[in-house]
Amino acid sequence: MTVNPKKLRPYDTPPKRRRSLIPEAPDSAATGFFVAAALWLALATALGTLAIGMRLVDISFSFGLGFFDLSLTFDARRVEYAFVNATVYGWLTNAGFAAVAFMTPRLLGRRLAMEKGLNGALVIWNLSLAGGIAALYVFDLGPHAPLTAIPWLIDGGLALGALIVTGAFFATAATSLRGSYVSLWFAGVALLSLLGLLSLNAGLGLIDFFLDLPELLIALASVYIERAISVMWLLGMAYATLHYAVPRGTGQPLAWAGIGMLTFVTWLVLAPVAGLAALVDVSIPYAITSVGIVATMLLLVPAALAVVNLVQTMQGRWTLVFSAGTAAFAIVSLSFLFAASLLEAIGALRVVDELVGGTDWERGVFLWSAYGTFTLAAFALAEHALPRILRRAWGGGFLSGAQLWLAFGGVTVAGLALMAGGLAEGSLLAEGTAPDAIGEAVMIYRAVAFGGFGMLALAGLAFLANLFLMYTSGEPVDYAVSGQSATAAAGH
Amino acid sequence: MTVHTPIESRSGGLPPWAIGLTVFVFLVGGVYLLSNLAGQNPALAIPGASAPVASGGGGADPAVGAALVAQAQPQCAACHGPDLAGQANFPSLHGIADGPKSENLQDLAAQHPDDWIALWIEGTTPETQGIDRGGMPVFGEQFSREQIDSIVAYLKTLP
Repeated sequence: MTVNPKKLRPYDTPPKRRRSLIPEAPDSAATGFFVAAALWLALATALGTLAIGMRLVDISFSFGLGFFDLSLTFDARRVEYAFVNATVYGWLTNAGFAAVAFMTPRLLGRRLAMEKGLNGALVIWNLSLAGGIAALYVFDLGPHAPLTAIPWLIDGGLALGALIVTGAFFATAATSLRGSYVSLWFAGVALLSLLGLLSLNAGLGLIDFFLDLPELLIALASVYIERAISVMWLLGMAYATLHYAVPRGTGQPLAWAGIGMLTFVTWLVLAPVAGLAALVDVSIPYAITSVGIVATMLLLVPAALAVVNLVQTMQGRWTLVFSAGTAAFAIVSLSFLFAASLLEAIGALRVVDELVGGTDWERGVFLWSAYGTFTLAAFALAEHALPRILRRAWGGGFLSGAQLWLAFGGVTVAGLALMAGGLAEGSLLAEGTAPDAIGEAVMIYRAVAFGGFGMLALAGLAFLANLFLMYTSGEPVDYAVSGQSATAAAGH
Repeated sequence: MTVHTPIESRSGGLPPWAIGLTVFVFLVGGVYLLSNLAGQNPALAIPGASAPVASGGGGADPAVGAALVAQAQPQCAACHGPDLAGQANFPSLHGIADGPKSENLQDLAAQHPDDWIALWIEGTTPETQGIDRGGMPVFGEQFSREQIDSIVAYLKTLP
């Protein structure tokens, strides 16, 4: 029957749906963080390729911005800092926030608190970060390490974003954290660490602005914060993610809950102390640095426990490892977790540090951690979570396969090449070889690393394309059916 | 709708091997720590360009010099030994205030008794042209003269 709209009475008109400027639908924040993470990954890998390229060909230039005597300076150090910030705060932290927003309600059986606030945090975090990275090319970097080089005022914006996410997590989970799954323990401590470290950095910047703190103090705080962000925030979220993704991806129970908790406790005890290893200065007592070095070496314990526990969880489902999916991404991530922990333990030894400290070795180990362990753990969760959030299936196996193999191959080649180059550089330095000769000798390693990182950049693009195709043309699917028992829905 | 799908575990307990492995590795770490309690750290290699460090003092500052020595590329310790006491063919930098130990620097020290060390480290001025550097890098492009003066001030503190 045709309806004449002019004859409709007021109560026949369907009520207008009010659309909020900031979304508050379930999973909207997780979606936003995943999309932001994918975009940052593409940018970070492009910057990384450029950063390695600039170690092959020296390019640097500067031009005035036309106001306040500010100038935009483009050099190897600033590009490298931008790459590290885009990787850690852009890609990995957005992916970490997405993991928190996805896992928490599903493990606790209740809606995420402050969904709207989280969407606000998404905007605050990413705008602050974009501004912070742009500022790296304008302001003096001082004695800062890459992750503390963003100006303190902008760093405060990042801390505010982290505060909202942490608040949302604890508002959802605080009452039932006791007895909850180990991933939530990891995530809770990791979030608190990120918030504390960002606040510390912003606070120090503020005090320095007014009181002009000694540069040595700033430099020492900077290297500690840099190291702590890696072992507390990134590593903590990798453990949280992997302990969630592996049982879900394989549809099997966790092998040992006790080992999961032992992994958490050992990591919790060691990770804050491991940062002390970075405090290598005449003003720092030798014993304190030694405690940090030992803690760094002992971080191999939680890594080994997690690998054994999660590999055991996969038992009987090995076929999943051979197709590009959650389990395959997770097993590669676990391999890098163990390898990178081992390399960091070896690199922490003073005798090794004297040889390779400050060389490309450190960049190679960073690549294995950031793009081997953490990135592949994030891919594993994304592979599981995005179809459930968007209720669409992945477009096809090709892009997921490309993502897996390009990331695996790229990070292996680039990391190995940089570590080998670092060893060569360290050996030549010890022999007193002239800088020009060293530069020529390590060129081949950097060229190989450039190629490897290019593959990694393609993996980032594959992830972005895969996500785009899923959103625009993926087949609709529904994993959780209302009324279905929790057990039946588990793992799906 | 949020469906609560708990992750269960096959075993809630803690296997003895996991406890044993953890305790054993912690013990090894403890032993390593006890054997590494005494010593002295080198100066912090402050990230980035050295200008901010050097600009702090105004004049030659041994503390700034110590930091710069640690961040020099290549590192001074790589050739002159971890405590700059010399190794292989590379001379000790201790007692350098009394004059050069290498034959090739005697003339330079005689002609420029006040700043021969700075000229030698800098390596870009006419005074040092023609002297066999024997593997000693030129630091004049890496550090300013003020920074090199701080390095010299630090080196002169070495007994």
